[in-house]
Formats: sequence, structure tokens, C-alpha cells
Amino acid sequence: MIPFIIALGISFYFFSSALDKSTQASLERILTDHRKMIESFLLERKSDLELITRVYAFEEIMADEAVTAICQSLQKRSPAFVDLGIFDETGNHLKYSGSFALTGKSYTREPWFRKTMVRGFYISDIFLGYRNIPHFVVAVRKTENSRTWVLRATIDTVFFDSMVSGVRIGKTGEAYILNHQGVAQTARRSGDIALLDKDPAFGWMAKQFSANRQTFQLSPKGQPFLYAVSKLANKSWYLVVRQEKQDAYKALYSAVLICVVIAVLGLAALVVPAYFTSETICRRMDRLDEEKDALGSQLIRAVQLAEIGEMAAGFAHEINNPLQIIKSEYALIKILMEELYPGKAGKDNAPDPRTLNDIRESVEQVHKQVERCHEITSAILKFGRKKEVRHTTLDPGTVIPEILKLVENSARTSGVKITTRIEEKIPSFMGDPGRFQQVMLNLVNNAIHAVTSRHGANGGKIEISAARTRDKEGRTMVDIQVKDNGCGIAPEHMDRIFSPFFTTKAVGRGTGLGLSVCFGIIESFGGTMSVESRPGQGTVFSIQLAAHENQPSLRRTTEWKK
Amino acid sequence: MEKMKLLLVDDETRYLETTGKLIERKGHDVWTAPSGEKALEILAAHNIHVVVLDVKMPGMDGNETLKHIKALHPLTEVIMLTGHATVDSAIDGLKSGAWDYLMKPADIEEIIEKAELAFQKRMNQEEKIRSAQAKQYLKSPREILKQGNE
Repeated sequence: MIPFIIALGISFYFFSSALDKSTQASLERILTDHRKMIESFLLERKSDLELITRVYAFEEIMADEAVTAICQSLQKRSPAFVDLGIFDETGNHLKYSGSFALTGKSYTREPWFRKTMVRGFYISDIFLGYRNIPHFVVAVRKTENSRTWVLRATIDTVFFDSMVSGVRIGKTGEAYILNHQGVAQTARRSGDIALLDKDPAFGWMAKQFSANRQTFQLSPKGQPFLYAVSKLANKSWYLVVRQEKQDAYKALYSAVLICVVIAVLGLAALVVPAYFTSETICRRMDRLDEEKDALGSQLIRAVQLAEIGEMAAGFAHEINNPLQIIKSEYALIKILMEELYPGKAGKDNAPDPRTLNDIRESVEQVHKQVERCHEITSAILKFGRKKEVRHTTLDPGTVIPEILKLVENSARTSGVKITTRIEEKIPSFMGDPGRFQQVMLNLVNNAIHAVTSRHGANGGKIEISAARTRDKEGRTMVDIQVKDNGCGIAPEHMDRIFSPFFTTKAVGRGTGLGLSVCFGIIESFGGTMSVESRPGQGTVFSIQLAAHENQPSLRRTTEWKK
Repeated sequence: MEKMKLLLVDDETRYLETTGKLIERKGHDVWTAPSGEKALEILAAHNIHVVVLDVKMPGMDGNETLKHIKALHPLTEVIMLTGHATVDSAIDGLKSGAWDYLMKPADIEEIIEKAELAFQKRMNQEEKIRSAQAKQYLKSPREILKQGNE
């Protein structure tokens, strides 16, 4: 994103500066060309007049029709000449050839005449004069034999104007001439400044110009213009070339537009896929997080179970020793009792038989309770043991029916119908046969308990199924389910169902270790165990175990060997 | 018939006392030892037939004691008494030559039953040895003299 913007910025910068330079250069070139043209034009007119003053003596030029002839030949040479006049040293108009009746008029006080008399040569600004038409004059003083006379030609402002205003650059580019006071000597093509109007921007222009800058920007009337100004040689005139900035930088603006379009499209091309990719990444990360959380809680539970198991095992082991002593003591008491009171009443020293019975009963109770403790401790020890198990491949198709034979009788007497649905060609899994049997027996016994508590001796159904499935990663799994239509598990018990010592059975009827032991066993097989239940409808315990992939080929070879 | 001489080894003295009394009542001779070391001393002094040995004891534990017994008195039968519900420690014992094992808490009847079986085996063994020796004496009476010389 950032390199893209930098690249765009750099290319834009170079492009715009190049364009800027070339625009300025073209403006300057036009300025220089036109300055030279105007300068040479004025110089030519001056030399025309000088030629005449050199060639003609005063008497010759004062001859009849001489002025008219000269005027006509000058007009032939340059259509810019309008008329021609000869003045004496006091400014009296001696001879005139042209369309205005100016002969005899006195020009003594006219500024152009006075300046001509002083400088010997003068090109005037545009003025109205006697004829009241804007024009400018070129005058040359001639001194011969102590006589001074002045030859003056009027230049056609229309012609001069067309020479300058012929400049066209783009739509708004124009050229015009200002005198040293900023008065327009030619009209502006755009028409907002007529001849002899003062250019309001002149003050600005003069400031920029005095700072030796030929090109600059001005914004008269709020619109930015690009100006190029040059002073004409030997004259206090300024040639101004200007163009609306917008016009001059038309190419630049289109470049800007293209840049912006590219930038927007490029950004969109970057942002849109970035957005979608980041979204998919986010989603994936969320899912990973969820999986991690699930795994984490599973791990924590496994660790907790292991810790509880270890603690309980140590605890149970220690309890067994005192139990052993109590048991011995019980045996001794029993024997001693029998010796003291052999159960035959009638002896004199025999105590009240009821008291004796009470003592016997309570001694029996001691024995019973010790047995109960023993059951608990041995269950705990089974749960907590960290014995190395011998994993072999187990084929659900043979193992499950074998195990079910063990519960067949108890199921039949409880009136529970057990059905099995084991897929053909079901893959095998790795596990310890004894422990797997323990799990299945536990689940089936639980199921029998659940269905009999709901249906009594009729209508209980248990279905044991084994099927091939695939897990999320596509690995082949064995899915073993024990499904019953029993009483179900209350929702509030669901998350504690695999916790050790959790039981809903009556005190003394269950240790609450059965399912947690099953859970641990299945985990030691690398599998998972889960439960789904609807109270009043039934429960499904599912065991997911990774299939042992090489098994089918192994079995085939062993069969072949047989 | 010879009386069974039984040695009880456990670190719980009250257990030794009570169980000893119970076994005596059944008509057997009983010795008790609170540790493995003490048990070996008694074994050296008396011709004990059967040892009931607790696995978990401070100092020399059951399995170690068992190895010593089997090394010093190979004919003596040993019954392991384990607090663990697992058969692991019992399997270790059986590998080292124990006759059988019992899980704590064990009924006194069970203990006596197992001990009597072990005693029977011991007796059979001794009987076999005796008859083998008798055959030898019949074959060559000089053997008695030989044995007497030794």
C-alpha cells in the first residue's frame, strides 16, 4: 500500500515538474520570439525613416508630392505605415501625406516632439493626438546645415495590434504590450482590456519583474494565470504573455486525473482482496482459537483427572492399611464373641440376647462398612493407576459381541433387549482388550440401569453400533455408540458426567468413578468419548477412536498364513 | 503332621498382633516381624514354612525382602500382601518367586487358606526330597555314611 502510494507520488511529482518546466519554457519561448519580432519591427520602421532622412535633403523632401511619393513607397514596404509628416524645429507641421488634415498644426508641446528633439529618435506610446484615434508614431530628427527637421510616421495600431495579438497558446494564451505605466498598447485578445486601458495587475507584474523573474503566477480576479513578461529593447514597453493556469496545465490536470484514477483503482485492488483475505484469516484464526480453547479445556480436564487420580490412589492406598487392621480386629472380635457367648441362651451368665444381637449386628456393620470402603478404594486405585497398557489391534466386529455375551444374562433377566449393529468391514483400532471390555461393560450396565429405571422389566432397548466415520482432518475413525431409551441425563448433570466421584445413585450404590474411568481409558487409547442425552428419551454414549490403518492388510496376511 | 510355621511381616504392629492371634487360634505357629530385616533374622533362626509379606514397608520393602528370602531359603513359600489394587507390584513379586498374592484389605480366612495351600506345597516338596533321599539310601547305604562324614 505505502510503496504503491510512494511510487505514484514520485511519478506524479516528476511528471508534474517536467510539465511545469515545459509549460514555462514554451511560454518563455513565445515571449522571446515575439519580443524579437516586435523589436525588429520597430527597428525596421526606425531605419526606414532614417534612410529617408539620409537620402533626402530638406529641399528635396519639401518639394511638391515628394512626401506623398515617399509615403506610398513606405506603405509598399510595410503596410504598417499610415501617414508621413515633416516638421520644422519648432514643431510646425510642414508637409503631410495621409488621410487626416494635419498640415499646419503646431506640435511644439507634444511630448513625442519634444523627446524626438532631445533624443534624435523616438517611438511614442499609443496616444490619441489631434486626430483623436489611438496611434503611435515613429519620429526621426535630422540636422543638416544648421537646419533641423523632423520626419514622423504614424504606425497603424490595428496592424501592430494584430502582430501582437496574433499570439495564441491553447485556449486562453494571449500576448499584449504595456507601457512603463501599465497602459495597454495593444488590446488583449480576451477583450477585458482595451487599448489605452490600464492593466490592474501591472503593479504586481512590475514587482515580480524587478525581482528578475520572467515567469510567474498571478491571480487577477481570483483566476490564476501564468505570466511571462519581458521588457522590449530601447523602449519602456513590456511584452506580456499570459495563459490561464488551468489551460496551461491542462495536460497536467489530466495527468492528475489519471493518477487519481490509478490511485483509487490501485487502492481498491489492494484493499478489496486485502479485506477479504484478512477476513478469511480472521475467521480461520477465530476457529483455531475456538479449537484451541476446546483442546485447552479438554487438556485441563485430562490433567485434573490425572491429578485427582494420583491423589486418590495414594489416599486409597493409605486407607487400605487401616482397613486391613479393622478387618483383622473384626475377625478377632467375632471369634472372641462366639467363644464368650456361643449363641445358646439359658446360661446364667448370658447377657440379654437382644443386647447380644445388637452387638453382633453392629460388629457385622463394621464388617459391611469396611467392605464398602474397600470397594471405593479399589475403584479409586483402578481409576488412578498409571499402568502401562498393552495395546493391540481390536476388531469391533469380534470384540463387542464377545463383551456383550457377558451381560446377556443380566440383560435378559432385567427384560432389556440388546441389539447390535456393527458395520461390515469396520476398521480396527488400537487398545487394551481388558480395558476396552471394562468401558463397554460399564456403559452397557449404565444403560441397563437407565432403561430399567424408566421402563421396568418391559420395553427397555439398548442398541450398540459401530461404524466407520471420518474426523475433521479426514482420518478414518471408528465410531462406537451405546444408545438406550432410558431415563436420560438431567441437563445440569451433563457437564459433570465424566467427573470422578460424581454420581446420582443412592449413597453406597455407586462410587461415581465408572464413567470417569471409562473416559480416562478411551483417552489413553487416543480416542474421545462424548455423551448426548434427552431426559425422558434416552442417552447416547459415543466413542471415537482412530482407525488402525494397516490393519486390513495385516489380517489378510495372517489369514493366508493359516 | 507337622504344624505350619508362619511368619507375618508388616510395619503395622497392631495388625501383626491381631492377625497373629487369629492364625494361632487356627492351630498354626506364628512369628511376626515389623520389618524385612527382622524377618530375615527370624527366618535364619527358625524353620519357617510360609511368609506373609507386606509389599509396602519402610526400609527394606516387600519385594527386596522377598529376593533375600528366596536366595537364602528357597523352600520357604511367600505370599505377598499388596495395598495396590493393581496387579503390577504383585506381578513383580510373582516373578521373584512368590507363591501367591493378596490384596489389602484381605479377609483373615483368605490369608489362612492361601497360607495352608502354600504350606501344603512346601510339605509336598519336602516329601519329594525325603523320598528321593530314601531311594538313594536304599540303592547305596554308603550314602548315609557319606552324608554323616560331611
